[in-house]
Amino acid sequence: MEIFLQLIYSGIALGMIYGVIAFGYQLTFATSGTLNFGQGESLMLGALVGLSLVGTIHGGPYLNYWVMIPVVVIFGAAQGAFVEWIGVRPAIKIKSEFGWIMSTIALAIIFKNVAENIWGKDDLKFPSPLPEAPIKFLGANVLPMEIVVVIGALAMMAMVELFNRKSIYGKAVVATSNDRDAASLMGINTGAVITFSYALSSVTAAVAGVLVAPLTLTGATMGSVLGLKAFAVAIIGGLTSGVGVIVGGLILGIAETTTGYYISTGYKDVPGLVLLLLVLAVKPAGLFGKMAIKKV
Amino acid sequence: MLKIENLQAGYGKVQVLHGVTIHVPKGKIVTLIGSNGAGKTTTMRAVSGMIKPTSGQITLSDQDITGLDSHQIARRGLAHSPEGRRVFPTLSVVDNIRLGAFVRYTNARPKGDVEGDVDKALEMFPRLKERTHQLAGTLSGGEQQMLAMARAVMLNPEVILLDEPSMGLAPILVEEVFNIISRLKAQGVTMLLVEQFAAAALKVADYGYVLENGHISVHGPAEKLKDDPAVKAAYLGG
Amino acid sequence: MKINSKSFLLMVVGLVALGLYPVLVPNPYYIHLVETILIYAILLFGLDIVVGYTGQVSLGHAGLFGVGSYTAGALFFKLGVPFLLAVPAAIGVTAVFGAVLALPALRVTGPYLAMVTLAFGTIIQILINEMTFLTEGPIGIKVHKPIFFGHKLTEVEYFYVVAVLMVLALVVVHRILKSHLGRAFEALRDSPVACDCMGVSVYRYKVYAFVISAALAGLAGSLYAYSEEYISPNTYNFELTIMFLLAVIMGGRKTRSGALIGAVIVVMLPSLLSDIELFRKIATVLAVAVSGMAVYNFIRKVKTVRELAVPVLATMAMAGFSFRLENITDWRLTIFGLMTLFVVYYLQDGVVGFARELFARFAKPAAHASGKTPSIKVRAWTAPHKAAPVSAGPLLDAQQVLMQFGGLRALNQVDLSIARGSIHGLIGPNGSGKSTMMNVLTGIYQPTAGQVVFNGQSLAGQTPSHIALSGIARTFQNVQLFGEMTATDNVLVGLHHTFKSNTLDVMLRTPRYLREDAAAREQAASLLDFVGLTNLSEEQARNLPYGKQRMLEIARALGLGPRLLLLDEPAAGLPPADLPELTKMIQKIRDHGITVILIEHHMDVVMGISDTVSVLDFGQKIAEGKPADVQSNPAVVEAYLGSGEGAH
Repeated sequence: MEIFLQLIYSGIALGMIYGVIAFGYQLTFATSGTLNFGQGESLMLGALVGLSLVGTIHGGPYLNYWVMIPVVVIFGAAQGAFVEWIGVRPAIKIKSEFGWIMSTIALAIIFKNVAENIWGKDDLKFPSPLPEAPIKFLGANVLPMEIVVVIGALAMMAMVELFNRKSIYGKAVVATSNDRDAASLMGINTGAVITFSYALSSVTAAVAGVLVAPLTLTGATMGSVLGLKAFAVAIIGGLTSGVGVIVGGLILGIAETTTGYYISTGYKDVPGLVLLLLVLAVKPAGLFGKMAIKKV
Repeated sequence: MLKIENLQAGYGKVQVLHGVTIHVPKGKIVTLIGSNGAGKTTTMRAVSGMIKPTSGQITLSDQDITGLDSHQIARRGLAHSPEGRRVFPTLSVVDNIRLGAFVRYTNARPKGDVEGDVDKALEMFPRLKERTHQLAGTLSGGEQQMLAMARAVMLNPEVILLDEPSMGLAPILVEEVFNIISRLKAQGVTMLLVEQFAAAALKVADYGYVLENGHISVHGPAEKLKDDPAVKAAYLGG
Repeated sequence: MKINSKSFLLMVVGLVALGLYPVLVPNPYYIHLVETILIYAILLFGLDIVVGYTGQVSLGHAGLFGVGSYTAGALFFKLGVPFLLAVPAAIGVTAVFGAVLALPALRVTGPYLAMVTLAFGTIIQILINEMTFLTEGPIGIKVHKPIFFGHKLTEVEYFYVVAVLMVLALVVVHRILKSHLGRAFEALRDSPVACDCMGVSVYRYKVYAFVISAALAGLAGSLYAYSEEYISPNTYNFELTIMFLLAVIMGGRKTRSGALIGAVIVVMLPSLLSDIELFRKIATVLAVAVSGMAVYNFIRKVKTVRELAVPVLATMAMAGFSFRLENITDWRLTIFGLMTLFVVYYLQDGVVGFARELFARFAKPAAHASGKTPSIKVRAWTAPHKAAPVSAGPLLDAQQVLMQFGGLRALNQVDLSIARGSIHGLIGPNGSGKSTMMNVLTGIYQPTAGQVVFNGQSLAGQTPSHIALSGIARTFQNVQLFGEMTATDNVLVGLHHTFKSNTLDVMLRTPRYLREDAAAREQAASLLDFVGLTNLSEEQARNLPYGKQRMLEIARALGLGPRLLLLDEPAAGLPPADLPELTKMIQKIRDHGITVILIEHHMDVVMGISDTVSVLDFGQKIAEGKPADVQSNPAVVEAYLGSGEGAH
């Protein structure tokens, strides 16, 4: 029973990471109808840049973990804006879905390869800012870092929600998601809103990266499968519902940790992928989303 | 105030407007009427930047706005309440109204007392005041039309473009909408009103233009146009 | 099969070159290289059907390739199954995997499909790795060359086997794509809505396309196993799937030669990239060429500095970078990524498309634009004789139709009865429900309540393509032609229902298929003649003038051989000079025994030719009768013009 509870805790932490990545997909999909197939790579770059700052790999440590986070935020924003500028904006202009799908994939490949060359192909250890000794909670072990992950993820999503509700700029973003043309009529520069949503989406992924890095191995390959499985979460949640991604993330995270333990670690990636296929087959709008009515 | 000269515009291969000239003097309500497919909404879209004109010139307060993007035109003081209302469904009534003043929050236009104006707008539209925090997507058609108009007024614009406010509304709500237009007229608002329902539009407007197949077929003071048989012919043929 | 002399010559040269290659270049390394190119090409023919023709992004073809390899490999290793059985088995198994994936996946589009196929590819790789009892897992499987009649094939002999199969695959794919199946694939990309309404079920054909591509991937995969003589899970990864996609778009979609060129590029690329000196030279040449073109375009004022900045800077950066590196293989994937970006935005039609454009610019404009007389003798069009009508009453009877969207009642219990052989006008102000009624009658919307009876049968629950096939055809308010297809091909899609041949008939060009093809082409020519488009029959639909596009839509709809034709604002956007021609055509259609429902705002048109006119307002029918009566009906006048008081 104790082990099971422990798996639940790990599953929750993992699930929150999936939720945050999926949240990033939602942000850009809402405003522009596009998403970044390289979202996992944004996470990976955030983690590796963080590692360079707090670890010894590039002659550091330069910064303390907590001070490093704002720096990673700035990096993430720049990286997200870059993806939008190079990969997405030209595709939106020529109204080509194929365009942004292929170009965000291409950018993801490039980022991964560049990361391999800068940080090497091996997985690295990320120094944990908190003691690594587990704490007992309700009779089972939980790592302090896992708690930070959950708090951090929820905090980020809450901050974005707050921004959307309280600030006029946040409302402008919501307006753009609702109706791009009408938002333009209000004087809102919808192109800038889309760039902003990509920047924000990369920031959440990058911070998720530095949150999860101490718990797992950090390396150039850490992002790809995470990004793919987060699709499943985004689809389960429905690309329009915020609560949905949290629930979806938890479902997937717990399913994975339990599968990995009770069945086999080789198969641990399977539940997420199968879930993705099932949800898309049965209810493409997700468990929480709504289908749009087609007009001719 | 708003001068549209020889406007030509369309969608892709289809040219809808073949040289339309409309003048909207300051403080007056000018109406553009005509049957469906004549090009009324296309005219509005070309003026507010939703589509780019292929030829012609549009000036707002002596500034050339031809070919600018819609957010840039909004910043110059042109408010467009579009066909179909297009309020922001997941935002509340009051947030929709606030977004109408977006260009004032960002200081692209003089800020003035935004919150005070929000209160004034809610006073002007009592139905909206009753539903201040309700999500705009749950409002009825008539209420959404009020909201779209409140949104437009919040910009403190030089000119308001009002596109088919009566569309899809029950007759009693149409009456309410036109009452509000009369009140705005009394406040000295400059407006270009596009309407399918000629009779009500000509009643409230100062001047009218009749659009037929992308041309202005007849124009004149609204009083005179009301009884002109050419107007009926434009709609029902014959 | 119509072959012009240029392509024929190219084909002969190609075949001869292929046949002589092992003789001229006996080095086994290079034979193996070309063998790999041919194998990839087989897969790419299939991938092109999915990506190039139906326009779906599939990120799972490396997985399908893997299924093909491992089916052959496992059968060989575990059961000693011979080549001639293993390969067909691989084709079959992979096709089944393809179907299992396609059936749920193709219900969604765009990014969702990309995700699903990506997930599929990843799952396949995991399964291959983990199911060691079947696949030997990471250890891999060793395969040797096939044995025919006790003789083990040499490298060269196997090369010929692969070459023959590649040519066969090419011929089969070509035949499929030139047939009604290929037209369906293209149509569903250009306009899925129109496709369904022409009786071609979009979903079904997307699945066909995917399954065919899976079969080809299976063939390629199995041949690959024998070619490499060793397979392991690592090969069938995401990188391979990207290479396949890159090959298709770089070579040029919708062409077989594009697939071949793409295969060459992708197979040669790694070897190219392992030679740093060669790469430096190429990068420098590229940077110079792109800068040159940029300056040229800038001087001619074709593009702005901003648009040109990105490619120029990128190529220069790549060239500069190449001189600082000692080893380019580590950066292989970055090069792939950059190439993909480049192709997606600057070379959308690939190398083949680029070459064609160059030739078109330098060659004289072909005489074909100036009214080439068609070789088919054109018969005047007559509507196909249909069986006697099932019931004597009205052709279409819509009873108490209610269409509700959330709180909005778009249609509020409308009765609409359409008499046989009449032209029935449907008018009403904006938002009155006319288009909604159109969509209900063609099955795009299912009514919330009420029923529609057509020719004695209820339309409840039927899909748009089913309704189209039972005899209701339509045109669209916003022209929904298949833009990249010719006028003839557009009409041929309308005639899709006349083809009873299946895929096998198409592949083998059976007499049945040839007969149906000839008959359809004759009918298409008649229809084009009827609408006055004979001279423009080989023009791409998107290049036609607007008025002609509307005529083409009508011709296509008539191809369905309908009893009822719904015309959605056919006069919209037409210059006044074209209107008499339109009204005459509608009357001619009625004279051929087809009933017409005409939605129109143009009052002169509607009132001039309708036998009966129904008026909708706020989703309800407010008047019905002869045109003159309706025109003077005060309720109608008020509905359009409004009343001064705003109270009815």
